[in-house]
Amino acid sequence: MRREDVPPLLVQAADRLPEPDLADAAWAAGLKVRRRRRRIAVVSVIAVFVVLLIISISIEVGSRGNADITPPNKPPTPRDYLAPAGKIAGIDFWVAPPPGSERLLDRLETPLGDRLELPGKVRPLAKHKLDRVAAVVLVKNGDAYEPLLLGRDSSWSQAAVQLAPVDGGSPLSSGAVSPDGKVVAFPQPGKLVTVDASTAEISQYPLPAGDFRSVSWLEDDQRILVSGPGVAYRVLVGEGGDGEPPLVRIEGSDDPEAVTSPFRIETGHLMRYLVTGQWTEEGPLTLPVRTWVGQTFSSGSGVARLFVAEKLPEVPTMRSQPQGVAAVSTLSMRHSRLLILGEPFTGSAQTPAGAGDPSYVREPGCCAVLGWYDQQNVLVQVRGWVLAWDLDSGQVRRVTELAVGELALGPGLRP
Amino acid sequence: MRDTVDPDFASFVDARQGRWLRTAYLVYGDLERAEKALLRAFTQLSMQWTRVDDPDAFVQRMLYLPALKPWNRSPAFPDEDDQVKAALGELTPAQRTVFVLLHVEELTEFEVGDLLGMSHTAVHAHGLTAFGRFRAALGAGDWRDAR
Repeated sequence: MRREDVPPLLVQAADRLPEPDLADAAWAAGLKVRRRRRRIAVVSVIAVFVVLLIISISIEVGSRGNADITPPNKPPTPRDYLAPAGKIAGIDFWVAPPPGSERLLDRLETPLGDRLELPGKVRPLAKHKLDRVAAVVLVKNGDAYEPLLLGRDSSWSQAAVQLAPVDGGSPLSSGAVSPDGKVVAFPQPGKLVTVDASTAEISQYPLPAGDFRSVSWLEDDQRILVSGPGVAYRVLVGEGGDGEPPLVRIEGSDDPEAVTSPFRIETGHLMRYLVTGQWTEEGPLTLPVRTWVGQTFSSGSGVARLFVAEKLPEVPTMRSQPQGVAAVSTLSMRHSRLLILGEPFTGSAQTPAGAGDPSYVREPGCCAVLGWYDQQNVLVQVRGWVLAWDLDSGQVRRVTELAVGELALGPGLRP
Repeated sequence: MRDTVDPDFASFVDARQGRWLRTAYLVYGDLERAEKALLRAFTQLSMQWTRVDDPDAFVQRMLYLPALKPWNRSPAFPDEDDQVKAALGELTPAQRTVFVLLHVEELTEFEVGDLLGMSHTAVHAHGLTAFGRFRAALGAGDWRDAR
């Protein structure tokens, strides 16, 4: 076999093959491959972009120190949280800043201003009505008292009514301002006087003869609890139900200021007011209380009242009887708390000016709870000051310095 | 790339597909593999149709180079009764590819070397060995006796 014999043999071996037609199939396959490559390129670009985005977010989160994000195992606490000083009867307590150091505290801005004093010029309430009352003070005019109302805009108005002294003292009760801040009530011998700050209307409601000293509004703004030693009445000052008598005698107390709504704190019990004029026990309260002072004030989730304590080994005092504010929770999820009022500093070169002075000692009767600023801040009157105790953080702030006597606060304090 | 087949591409394929299928059949020793290889080569060409300077060389390279890859070596012409095909099946892939390109495509040894990326010496050796074994398989005696 020679070389030239090979090609015919090979051509003959492949001669009977079918004739292919590959043009359309090849072009279609090329088109398909090309599209697939384009899709892969687009998906790859998107994937790279997403990966870069995830990496950048991880770096950003990591640079903030939050790389290890884990759910907290306890509720977050405010940034300025103060740890409690200890426990009294199983309740966390804080110790209030000592008297004389109030001016150094952070301030809670309110319409009361930095110092609450009687104004030099006051407009009549009839000409300058107030939509919500922030505070009420009394000025003495001879033997009578005249109420001055402070509005939420820090302006003063004087109500055109002369109030007689009650039991030889001021007829201003710390629960005088209605929950909506529009009406102020004053106990008077044989009657109850109300001043509507939004209309300047003065109303009088007759009461049986008695020594009434304390008023407390029901939450509906329509009824007032008026109480004296051992006797108390519910007075209808708004629209009542059909056939509701304007005056109903209710369960009284030896302490007139104990008769409050919707809760009252008494030794051993937290009690809730019922529409029948009685109180039902809400829960036990075991505190080393000698006497309760002032009225009980309620917010949505707590009740607060000031007490004079027996000897407290947890907070020893040298010159004064220990006092404290009990903020009792009405919700099971929140804890009750105590604020113990301390003594002035003594004998240190670093003490604030005036500290250690016996005139700064907080004697029993100097102090009382005046209300709630909001759901977490209790307003407490101490000697010469109104303070705000933040239940969440434990911090105490100054609200105002007092240059007035008796004071009642209202919801106009809040912005 | 247009959605419908390019007329020039179709003309190019129509003019060559029969000849290249027969050559590929002899190289791969299997019609199905040959068709797949040829379709793959034309597909590659279609994607670069406007950019390829020498389409014939492009297709031939795409068509025959895979036959030399180690992972692409299946027995050629298995159980074949035809003596010529059986003789081709006894050659190695490289010998068969060179032998077919020299005698069917009628390329020179230098052109085969360029196409397959081999040296001229390697092509010459493969061609000589393939011719000898082909002859022997057909019972034509030693190649050195041929003229």
